[in-house]
Amino acid sequence: MTVLLRHVHEPDQKDLDGYVRRGGYEALRRALRELSPEQVVELVDRSQLRGRGGAGFPTGRKWSFVPKHAPVKYLVVNADEGEPGTFKDRTLIEGDPHLLVEGIALAAYANGVRTAYVYLRREFYEGRRRLERAVAQAYEAGFLGEGILGTDFSLDVVVHPGAGAYIAGEETALLESLEGKRAMPRLKPPYFPAVMGLYNQPTVLNNVETLCCVPWIVREGPEWWIAQGPPQLYSVSGHVNRPQVVEAPLGTTARELIERAGGMRGGRKVKAFYPGGTSSRPLTAQHLDVPLRHEDLAKLGSMLGSSAVIVMDETTDMVRVIARVCEFYRDESCGKCTPCREGTVWVTQILERILHGRGRPEDLHLLDSLARNMTGTCFCPLGESVPPSLRAGLEDFRDEFEAYIRGAREPVEMPVRLRLGAPAPGG
Amino acid sequence: MLSERAQSDIRALRARYPVAQSALLPALLRAQEELGWVPPEALAEVARLLDLPVEVVAEVASFYTLIFTEPVGRHVVQLCTNVSCLLSGAEEVRRRVEERLGIRAGQTTPDGRVTLLAVECLAACDQAPCAIVDEQRYGPLTPEAAVRLVEELP
Amino acid sequence: MSTVTLTIDGRTVTVPKGTTVYHAAARLGIEIPIFCYHDRMPPLGACRMCFVQVEKMPRLQTACTLEAQEGMVVWTETPTVVEARRGILEFLLINHPLDCPICDKGGECPLQDNTFKYGPGASRFVEPKRHFPKAVPLSPVLTLDRERCIMCWRCTRFGEIVAGDHALKGHDRGYRTHIDTPPVTQERPSKFIGNTIAICPVGALTSGVYRFRARPWDNRPAPHVCTHCGVGCATWVDARGGEVVRVRAREAPAVNDVWLCDVGFFGYDYTNHPDRLRTPYVREGGLLREATWEEALAAVAAALREAAPRVGALGGERLTLEESYLLSKLFRSLGSNHLDSRADSRFAPDSRRYAWGAPGGFSTVDGAGALVLVGCDLTEEYPVLWLRAKRALDRGTVGFAIAPKRLEVEPYLAHSFVAAYGAEADVLYALARAVAETRGEGLGPLADVDIQAACAAAGVEEAALRRAASSLASASPVLFAVGRLSLDGPEPDRVLAAVEALQSLCGGTLWLLRGKGSAVGASVAGMVPDALPGLASLQDPAPQARLEALWGFRPPSEPGLSAAGMLAAASRGELGVLYVAGADPARDFPDGELWKRARAGLRCLVVTELFWTETARQADVVLPALSLFEREGTVANLEARPQRVRPARPGPAGARADADVIQSLAQLVDRPMAYPSTDAVWEEMRRAVPGLELDVPYPLPRPKPRVDVRPSHDGAGGLPDALVVVPAAPLFRQGAMASRCRGLPELSGSPAVVVHPQDAARLGVADGAEVELQVDDGAVRLRARVADQAQPGHVLVPVGFLEIPRAAFGAPGLRVRLRALVPSREVGS
Ligand SMILES: Cc1cc2nc3c(=O)[nH]c(=O)nc-3n(C[C@H](O)[C@H](O)[C@H](O)COP(=O)(O)O)c2cc1C
Ligand code: SF4
Ligand code: FES
Repeated sequence: MTVLLRHVHEPDQKDLDGYVRRGGYEALRRALRELSPEQVVELVDRSQLRGRGGAGFPTGRKWSFVPKHAPVKYLVVNADEGEPGTFKDRTLIEGDPHLLVEGIALAAYANGVRTAYVYLRREFYEGRRRLERAVAQAYEAGFLGEGILGTDFSLDVVVHPGAGAYIAGEETALLESLEGKRAMPRLKPPYFPAVMGLYNQPTVLNNVETLCCVPWIVREGPEWWIAQGPPQLYSVSGHVNRPQVVEAPLGTTARELIERAGGMRGGRKVKAFYPGGTSSRPLTAQHLDVPLRHEDLAKLGSMLGSSAVIVMDETTDMVRVIARVCEFYRDESCGKCTPCREGTVWVTQILERILHGRGRPEDLHLLDSLARNMTGTCFCPLGESVPPSLRAGLEDFRDEFEAYIRGAREPVEMPVRLRLGAPAPGG
Repeated sequence: MLSERAQSDIRALRARYPVAQSALLPALLRAQEELGWVPPEALAEVARLLDLPVEVVAEVASFYTLIFTEPVGRHVVQLCTNVSCLLSGAEEVRRRVEERLGIRAGQTTPDGRVTLLAVECLAACDQAPCAIVDEQRYGPLTPEAAVRLVEELP
Repeated sequence: MSTVTLTIDGRTVTVPKGTTVYHAAARLGIEIPIFCYHDRMPPLGACRMCFVQVEKMPRLQTACTLEAQEGMVVWTETPTVVEARRGILEFLLINHPLDCPICDKGGECPLQDNTFKYGPGASRFVEPKRHFPKAVPLSPVLTLDRERCIMCWRCTRFGEIVAGDHALKGHDRGYRTHIDTPPVTQERPSKFIGNTIAICPVGALTSGVYRFRARPWDNRPAPHVCTHCGVGCATWVDARGGEVVRVRAREAPAVNDVWLCDVGFFGYDYTNHPDRLRTPYVREGGLLREATWEEALAAVAAALREAAPRVGALGGERLTLEESYLLSKLFRSLGSNHLDSRADSRFAPDSRRYAWGAPGGFSTVDGAGALVLVGCDLTEEYPVLWLRAKRALDRGTVGFAIAPKRLEVEPYLAHSFVAAYGAEADVLYALARAVAETRGEGLGPLADVDIQAACAAAGVEEAALRRAASSLASASPVLFAVGRLSLDGPEPDRVLAAVEALQSLCGGTLWLLRGKGSAVGASVAGMVPDALPGLASLQDPAPQARLEALWGFRPPSEPGLSAAGMLAAASRGELGVLYVAGADPARDFPDGELWKRARAGLRCLVVTELFWTETARQADVVLPALSLFEREGTVANLEARPQRVRPARPGPAGARADADVIQSLAQLVDRPMAYPSTDAVWEEMRRAVPGLELDVPYPLPRPKPRVDVRPSHDGAGGLPDALVVVPAAPLFRQGAMASRCRGLPELSGSPAVVVHPQDAARLGVADGAEVELQVDDGAVRLRARVADQAQPGHVLVPVGFLEIPRAAFGAPGLRVRLRALVPSREVGS
């Protein structure tokens, strides 16, 4: 029995009537009638909910950092879903937009927020239409706006479009972007968004899925929530038969998730999988039975991240995949700090050269050294997302690199030009 | 250069935020909706409508890949080429579409009909390989389906 | 203030709380390499060069961003740190062209130095380097080599944080990020771009003027002070082979901090210019002919002797204090108090009550609760003072402007009023009354002020004025800065009275920001008609006695004539000799007619000059002078802060320092002065003017404000459908000096008259079209810019260009007819 995805496939769930018929906005009613904001925070804290955006920070704790009596506070919803392989937030927004609206309202109530912004990535054209409709319906029904449900709680929700930048998903870069600036991460410490966020005011910033958990927690209670797994959305894609968002208890293994996604295409064997998007270290077939949760993955030098499981079968060219991942970070780097801006280009240049059949034996040592120079030195986690893939490549799939260098593999053309009129690297 | 309508929309966008600059991305997108892209004069006009230095508008516009500061075709085709799509045959889709259009990703057909972009993960890996044409998402795409899709664009 | 104690490399240091580890280390003399950090801007943490290791912290930390904490244990040279730095430098160098031998920065390049100290021995980079077009000129004075750029963000942040002009920006992103200007043409070039050249840690930004002219180790630096405007920025002047090749900021926290404006940064080539005067000229038979110094000086001396005491002297902005002192002493010894350093001003109020300058010094702005700019266009007039004001505004000072034109800094001000020309006083009186009402105190004479009528007269919105008043009422202390737009305007006396009315309510300081170079210093040194040196009263016995003891004669006690008074007297034939030292009244005095009549009435006009200015052409004797780059002595800025200058180069043979000329003349008119050195003059001056100290602002008078509500003169009328001229001298203009500096004429561009959109529509003037301004005796053709910069019915005329002398457009309240030469079709349709 699913929770978060329970109704996403009901066609009328997108409408207020359908949502309300299935118990929607009950949690909000209950909170406004029976609970103080502090009690809502406490429920969320007791549920042990951890952020679903990537960092896995406990949501209740995060909310408790927000200064109680600040006159102006904001809620910002991270709907920028850009981590490669991740599509759970889009699924929720498109399938159950009111669930998000209710989550927003609850989070705003809990944190004393009057205005919420949903930073929605530009490519969610359909999601935007559905979300804006849901917001309008919620206003009309009195779940948003002035004096919600007859209380003195008021909330405005503004849907704000991104414009094409993965880094805008990083929370401080998102705030910059929302302020109409280049999405470049802010220095932190000393200022964390909870204390000094949007327009320098205290700001609660949460992922879409995180907020979608909140109505359930408030409605059914934290114990119930934990007993459900707790429910976790895994975006399963790659060489599986039916790529999809799988809801499963936190800690489900990759083997099980692959099973739920229809098994491997053509019945082939698993070679590797990313457990938490391309920023996590890819694991190998031997890790298929590792519970996919924060602690177990950290032990392996990987992470749960956005819980995007990208599955690669035995035919996969790992050099090609890793090069593609590095290109992604190269093109999405904001360019602020040296190791990320320069390191991603250099690493990609080397990988592309290897794929072109012009690799040198010393390149593997060089890549290893560059991975080291990019670890612990970047301004934000984006640049640091390159070394995990590189490390895995050099440690677990070294023979594939060596095969290219030896000339034992056909050179691969790397023609991708990722931006309008953009010059090729080095050219 | 922007229509009255677009200008008043941009003024309305401005009023949605406590700080005018927050309306910058929505305003640029609004200008682009009208002009297809954001030429330098439109940067200046948005700057004026939001009371921002044009320098700021230009630096911001240049940062985001979906603000087009160069002309694009009547249709913009965004083909996902990131890992999940790559694993599902996106390279072949891209190759065939490029072949059919006679351009490489990043370019516009000489008749100004289509701009083809190879893009990063569109958060639709359940439909890999996928694409967005203008504002509509398609997938999973076979090379043939993708070619047909771009062929049929007016 | 609380402190923290920490250990760095095993040594203990105690620093104020809030200090970064980088600065704490610097206190111990421990150097941590940096690129992006610049201590005049908040840390950014982008370049990742300044890594240190801190015990109990898992990752390397950037010392520039890390706040020192009690008990912190920091290591700056561990193997991890050394390796990380090497890695960062290697990253920075992969795409750097390594063209150091042909780079201007070579020899003073932080990238070169840091690489030498901390870098990898060799690069492991074998890929093709990133290529950008080399040496792109971004402006007439700025060249960018993007390949050398290490994307430290210093230059872009300077434009955001320090100057507020956003001149340079990072464009695109990731590895494609590059510094650029916007793809749209800019009307206004940055006024501060030189600073980005100075702080660029590599040779990416170089000066279009200095490029390839010298290597740093060949340059001989002399400490100097810029005298282009009145801020008096401390500089280093670098000369090579007797030619001034570069000017750099010299750190002076109280004056310019570490900054310069572009006129100061690029405005030095005039001194090397072949047009420099090299020999005296004497008028003979109506024509100027070359003369020897003996002939020329004899001619001047004879004229002075004959006409004394009906002789006068104008000038001071380009003189040292010593020279102004000597000039005033010479003329006073001839029995004349006709002395004025305010050579380009019609308005010459009591110089003890309304002394030009910034009493209290520039630091007054740092702690101001409110800054009220009255007709004061800071960025055009005193640009580097704007940097200080901006810093204050960023820290919470509330900014106000009341001016006949929109100020460039308006976005940074909380309350800004563009008033009808001359009606600044109405706005100020209305503000005063509204403040008094807010305070609930008695109105006194302000009861006569009708806020609604005043707002209507000035064309400002009453609600906005009331908002401003309530904000001003709660601000303290208040700094009023009255500037040239109002002081040269139609009703300067009324503006000052109105400012005083406001000041009497709000308290605070009043600045009269007027005067270039050492003009304010000259007034302290004695170049005013109505005061003794030190701005002492002419009748005050103590200074009189002091001067008599020093000078051997008693200075005359009757007030002399101001610049305008001297010209009027001359035109009546009542002044025999006018001695003009480094001024060009023929072009700059805002009443061309008066000047013409004065010239005609003078027996002898003497000019000391660098070039053939208009005044020099009309003179009877022309004496070639040394530029300030070639002299020594002391100059004093708006704060009346004396600062030393040392010669950077020898002048052209044939030119002489004003000090020498004055002393020779004194000899010839039997008032001998014998000073063995410039220092000797300075020492005497210090005795003559108690309180005059090097590097300390001289205490300028700060009279108690009085409340006096004056009605408007109401000078309106004149030509129907004519437009009121607001003459405004932009920073980048084309005077005798600026037009002879490489880069500056290009920065000033061709002047444009700014027409209000309403008038433009009425008159059929399109943006960029050519128009004709019809003045009494002729017409001037100019490009028009259509913009909402002043009130309708006004045109902004940029004075200070060859084609637009101030003398023709300076008359306050002047009205002109404007005619579109090419009637436009777009406009009005
Ligand atoms: C480079 C980068 C990209 C990120 N992208 C996203 C994203 O697209 N969506 C998201 O919710 N969080 C993203 N995050 C994580 C956010 O910074 C942040 O941790 C999260 O939104 C907080 O919400 P949560 O606590 O509810 O997870 C990203 C982080 C980094 C470093
Ligand atoms: S041009 Fe110079 S100051 Fe500007 S970012 Fe590049 S290196 Fe830094
Ligand atoms: S100097 Fe510290 S990060 Fe650049």
